[in-house]
Amino acid sequence: MSYKIPMGPYHPGLEEPYKLDMICDGETVRDVKLHIGFNFRGIEHLAEGRNYIQVIALMERVCGICSNVHTFNLCRAMEELTGLTPPPRAEYIRVIVAELERLHSHILWAGVAAKLMGFKTMFMTSFEIREKIMDVLEAISGNRVNYAMNRIGGVNRDIEDPQAILKMVEALEAEMAHTVIPIFTTSSTARSRCAGVGVLTREKAISCAIVGPVARASGLPQDMRRAAPYAAYAELDFDVPVQTDGDVRARLLVRALEIMESCKIIRQALAKLPPGEIHTEGERFAFTTGTAIKRIEGPRGEILYSVSWKQGSKNPARVHVRTPTFAVMPSIRWMMQGARLADAPLIQASIDPCYSCTDR
Amino acid sequence: MTPLDSIQEKLGITEPWVETGGAKWLVPGDKSVREVAQAMNEAHARFITITAYQLAGDEGFRLEYHWDLDGQLLGVAFQLAANSIESIFDICEAADWIEREIHEGFGLDFQGRAYEPLQLRQGDTPGVNLREVKQ
Repeated sequence: MSYKIPMGPYHPGLEEPYKLDMICDGETVRDVKLHIGFNFRGIEHLAEGRNYIQVIALMERVCGICSNVHTFNLCRAMEELTGLTPPPRAEYIRVIVAELERLHSHILWAGVAAKLMGFKTMFMTSFEIREKIMDVLEAISGNRVNYAMNRIGGVNRDIEDPQAILKMVEALEAEMAHTVIPIFTTSSTARSRCAGVGVLTREKAISCAIVGPVARASGLPQDMRRAAPYAAYAELDFDVPVQTDGDVRARLLVRALEIMESCKIIRQALAKLPPGEIHTEGERFAFTTGTAIKRIEGPRGEILYSVSWKQGSKNPARVHVRTPTFAVMPSIRWMMQGARLADAPLIQASIDPCYSCTDR
Repeated sequence: MTPLDSIQEKLGITEPWVETGGAKWLVPGDKSVREVAQAMNEAHARFITITAYQLAGDEGFRLEYHWDLDGQLLGVAFQLAANSIESIFDICEAADWIEREIHEGFGLDFQGRAYEPLQLRQGDTPGVNLREVKQ
C-alpha cells in the first residue's frame, strides 16, 4: 500500500523552505512532487524600480551564499549596455572573489552534507574552515556575506597586499587538503551513505538540462569558465572535474576536487594580478537601448542574467535571472525514485539547493 | 556545415544568425516554437530558459527562448498572439518550471500542458505577481 509523506516546507532535514510530497511503498520512495515559492520575493519586478546603483545592491540579495556572482554577472551585462570594459586588475580581483565564494559555498555544503550523513565532527570541521574563508573575504571586501565588490566598470575595493591573502589561501588549502578532501574522498562513512544513492543518469541530466557540479557529477563536462571564458579565466590554468556515477558520492567528489581547483585559480590570479586601476572613471553611465545577456559559473552552476534597458532611463526595463538551482531542482524527482526514505534529506541536499535563488 | 547552419537548414530559415547583446539570434519567421525546440534538440543544444517581456501599451508579450550550443548562447524570440503559445514541455523537459513560472507570474498560457500546483505562493490567480496591470 502506498502512502504519502510530506517533508517541509519547514523541516529539520531541509535548510530552507520547500516541500517534498513523497509517495512511498514501505521504506522506498516511488515518486516525489516538489513545491517551491514559499519565500518568493519578486526581486525581478523590484529591480525595475531601482536605478543602476541600487539594482546592484538589490541583486546581491538574490542569494545569501553566492551573492557576489549575481552582482558580477549583472555588472557584466550593464557594462555591455554602457560600452565599458573593466581594467585587467578588476577582472582578476573579480575572479579571486568569485573563487573564494565558491570555496566557502562548497565548504558550507560539505558541512551540511556531513550533518545529514550523521557525521557531526566533519560538520564542525567544515564550518570552522568556512569561517576562515570568510575571514579572507572580509580582509578583501570588509564584509563577510554580501561583499559589495562589483560596480559598473570594475570593482569597489583593491587587493592591496596579495601576499597576505596568498598566505591565508595557502593555509586554507593545506587544511582542506588534510581534512575535508581525504575524509570525503576515502572515509567509509561518506562512501556508505553516498555511493549508489540518488543517481541521476547522464541521459536524464541532459534531458533536464542540468548545470554545475550536479551535471559534472553525471558525466557532463560543462562549465562556463571553460566553455565561454569571462573576466580573467582564459588566462588561468584549471581543470573541470567530472565524475560519471551520477550519485551523491559523485557530487561530493566533484565539489571536493573543485575546492582544490579554486585554490589553484586563486593562487595563479594573485600571482598574476596586473597593476593599474580597479575601475573605470566616472559615476554617470550612458546606457544604450537593448538587452544584454550574460552567463557565469556560480558555485551551483550556470547563472544567466538578461538585462534590458531603455536609453535615457536610470532603471532597467527588465532583469531576468535564471539561477542554477531553478534548473537543477526538478531533477530531485528522478534522484528520489527508488531511493530509501532515510536518504531523502541527503539526496535533496546533494544538489546544494539554494531556495533563496530559486524563490528570487 | 556548422551546428548553427544545421539548425537553420532544418528550420528552412534563410535569414542568418545575428549576434547581439551576448547571444546569437535567429528570426523564426513562420516557424512555431515547437519546430524550433525540435531543431534545437536534434542539434543537441541545451535549453536554458525563457524570458518574458511585457511590451508597452497593448502590444502584449514577447518570449525569448535560450539554448546553449557548445558555449554559444542562442536566442529565438516569439511575439505572442492572445497571451498564448504552444508548450514545449513534452519535447523539452527542462522547460517545465519556467513555463509554469511565466504562467503564474504573467498569466500567459502554454497550450497543451497541465499546470502543477503553484510555484509562486502568493495569489491564486495567474498573472498577479509580475504582470503590470494597464490602467
